[in-house]
Amino acid sequence: MVELDFERRIERLFMDAPELADAGPFAERVERRLDAGWTARRWLIGAAGVVGGVIGASQLMMSDIFQRVEAAGDSARLLTNSVSHVTSGADWVATVSSGGGVVWIAAGLAVVMMGFVLTRVIGEI
Amino acid sequence: MPGERYSKFASQHDVELCALAAIGERRAFGELVRRHGSAVRGVLRRMGAQAAEADDVAQDAFLTAFERIAEFRGEGTFAAWVKKIAARLYLRRLQRDRKLGALTAEAVEDEADTRPADADAAIDLEEALKVLSAVERLCVTMCFGAGLSHSEAAEALNLPLGTVKSHVKRGLEKLRTRLAPEDGAVLEGRRGNG
Repeated sequence: MVELDFERRIERLFMDAPELADAGPFAERVERRLDAGWTARRWLIGAAGVVGGVIGASQLMMSDIFQRVEAAGDSARLLTNSVSHVTSGADWVATVSSGGGVVWIAAGLAVVMMGFVLTRVIGEI
Repeated sequence: MPGERYSKFASQHDVELCALAAIGERRAFGELVRRHGSAVRGVLRRMGAQAAEADDVAQDAFLTAFERIAEFRGEGTFAAWVKKIAARLYLRRLQRDRKLGALTAEAVEDEADTRPADADAAIDLEEALKVLSAVERLCVTMCFGAGLSHSEAAEALNLPLGTVKSHVKRGLEKLRTRLAPEDGAVLEGRRGNG
């Protein structure tokens, strides 16, 4: 019992730690390190997003997407011709699908979308 | 203003601040550091760390705690949780600097100065801890200051459980002689004044 009392007393003594004079500055140092880590993390995620976007866009450009779009355009024209007697409403397919301009527009939209998503992700984190 | 920035957290309980920190509120965590920083640094100093070293380890411990705040379930106090982290980090640092082996292998002096202190020095735990050997001090502080169990301390120190228990027992004996005067009342009386 005496043993236990003494152990409790020691525990209390350990808990009664005096407040150090520089408690405030110490906390500020820890917060600065937290902020620095946070900023570094944001930059890292941002840089990774930009690199990923550039790689994605370049992959899109480097692939045979132009040929595929051209082929899709041809197919659309063929389809349009086939169904033109049914409806003239399908003409827009050929208009939109033909040409490489649409690829650039799509790539631009993809990059904008990626930037938007990245901003949201950083905001959420 | 910093004062305004922190005032909204000042009235909140540790558990609430932990919940805020878990969703990334760094200022709430800063309030926790403000509240418990001295206690964590104090434990490290009592383990034998120099002031600057204790501050470094305590900072690392709080950063680790922030990273792992989701693991804190509120079963014990936040301060106790961070103290455990800090104690383990300090031991890891000693291991890295190859000091831990020397400390734990150090011969324990049975005839250390265990004379009862006078009344003025009776409550000074810091002074009393100085009569313990380094390894006794480590063991006692880890178990009574950082709240580790004997088993956890043994594992952290890489010592057999029985050895840790012996160090704790011997350390407590020395502290008892040093801290408790014959009448046993001085300690309580002085604490009441603090």
